[in-house]
Amino acid sequence: MNRQQATAVFSGPVAALLAAAPAAVAADYLTVAQAQQAIFPEARAFEAVTLQLSDAQRIALASGAGPQPPHGRLKAWRVQGEAGPLGFFFTDEVVGRQDFIDYALGINADGTLRTPEIMSYRESHGGEVRNAAWRRQFERRSDGARLRNAIDIRNIAGATLSCEHLTAGVRYLTLLWQLALQPAAAPAP
Amino acid sequence: MKRLILLTFMVAGLPSLGCAEDRAADPPLSWFGYGELNYDRPADHPEQARIDLTRFVIGAGYRFDDRTRLQSEIEVEHAVSSSSDPGEVEIEQAYIEHELHDGTFMRAGLFLIPSGLLNENHEPTRFHGVFRNFVETAIIPSTWREGGIGVQHSTASGLKLEAGLTTGFDLSKWNAASSEGADSPLGSIHQELAQARAVDFSGYLAANYTGTPGLKLGASLFTGGAGQGQPGFAGAKITLWEGHMRWEVQSFELSALYARGQISGTAPINERLLGSATLIPASFYGAYLEAAWRGLAARALPLTPFLRYERFDTAASYADLGPGLTPAARPERRALTMGVDWQWARGVIVKADYVDFTDGGGGDRLAVGLGYEF
Repeated sequence: MNRQQATAVFSGPVAALLAAAPAAVAADYLTVAQAQQAIFPEARAFEAVTLQLSDAQRIALASGAGPQPPHGRLKAWRVQGEAGPLGFFFTDEVVGRQDFIDYALGINADGTLRTPEIMSYRESHGGEVRNAAWRRQFERRSDGARLRNAIDIRNIAGATLSCEHLTAGVRYLTLLWQLALQPAAAPAP
Repeated sequence: MKRLILLTFMVAGLPSLGCAEDRAADPPLSWFGYGELNYDRPADHPEQARIDLTRFVIGAGYRFDDRTRLQSEIEVEHAVSSSSDPGEVEIEQAYIEHELHDGTFMRAGLFLIPSGLLNENHEPTRFHGVFRNFVETAIIPSTWREGGIGVQHSTASGLKLEAGLTTGFDLSKWNAASSEGADSPLGSIHQELAQARAVDFSGYLAANYTGTPGLKLGASLFTGGAGQGQPGFAGAKITLWEGHMRWEVQSFELSALYARGQISGTAPINERLLGSATLIPASFYGAYLEAAWRGLAARALPLTPFLRYERFDTAASYADLGPGLTPAARPERRALTMGVDWQWARGVIVKADYVDFTDGGGGDRLAVGLGYEF
């Protein structure tokens, strides 16, 4: 293929993509409000919560959640339905390969998981974790604090770090819920 | 004493919840790296046993804004690089990546070609065995990178499409007196963006599907001129295509790959090289099947045994030069590799394997390796 032929064959799609690109596009797939709606569509209200962990709880979280990637900001909301509490909604950040993945997770009142949502993904590599079929593997799982990538959760070849780190994040949030938020551990209102 | 680890005073419904976090205040620079330290002992020539710091790689990423980032890697091979040492210092990747739209990225610079299972995932924690498999080194010249521009689009349903326009191979670099071309035809003539000739460009297309958890199916095509305007090399063209799959189900991981390359326009070049040790092949191919079992890892013993069977031929045919002159195809090589990976810690792996060349051509070896990635 000479220069002219190559340019004609391959620059067409490139130019079309460039032309189609909006002038300013955020890297975000879901806002917090959209993630709340996606995970708890039946919710009536989301009440932000502030957590305090004792040293013992903090140690238990660090040792029990297994190897963890760096975490960014973490926030939690108590989810209220028409008939009472539905569970908790979390947003968290874990490093994918090099940059943070923003994701949201719902934990039902009985400790089972709801399918996590990817809110922001900033790298071209490993973004396959957005795939709904992969994320649905977490749905209704009751062993969230023990989940392991490639053993309990099927891995995506080529996106291993993102899969590992998101699974680790789910482990972390589930154990956090067990230690500080599940009914027996929740502070009196 | 109680410590506050979570501070969340927001109230649902406030406008601030409508936006993802602003990352402008986050450090824009990130570091990563990987390395391999390997011991190998050839069965036929134990006096050639050696230990080598095969690779030491440091990478840096820099986020210019929420959609634009630099990705770079610098690698030292074989520990020491000097005129009297075997080492090399290489830039493996150096490109700018920009997100055009949700799931659509454009990159420009020096980047890895999306070919096969290993080339873009070549860190030692990502593949089984001490050394990279033969097919993805002899046929697909991992770590294979080119300079140019590329686009990538991923859908939420698990389909990733890639296309690009890049530099290509330079057939005028072929050294007929060396065995390099017999070891890896494309590996001996890649340019790696080191003052790369840019008369002929190449293009690639790649598609991968990961929409079913545990399954990866993909294929790629790379094609372009390789004469690079050099006298006597006009019309030379190289095409490499491959198909691959990986299926992870229960505790098993199964992988398969087939790759085939063609170099056209070689007859007049080979006529000039007649009598030399290594002529330019017209075709070459390789395939492998690999199975790994993580059943022990599921029982908290992080050992993964694996078995890989490979067949490859770096000179399956030559262009016709006439009776008595056309070289005979090189014999196909068949290798059975059996080994085990031990995950020492997250990101640290120890491996051991034995390669048995079942074609009787020699080359069996025992190897032990230590690898890491962070």
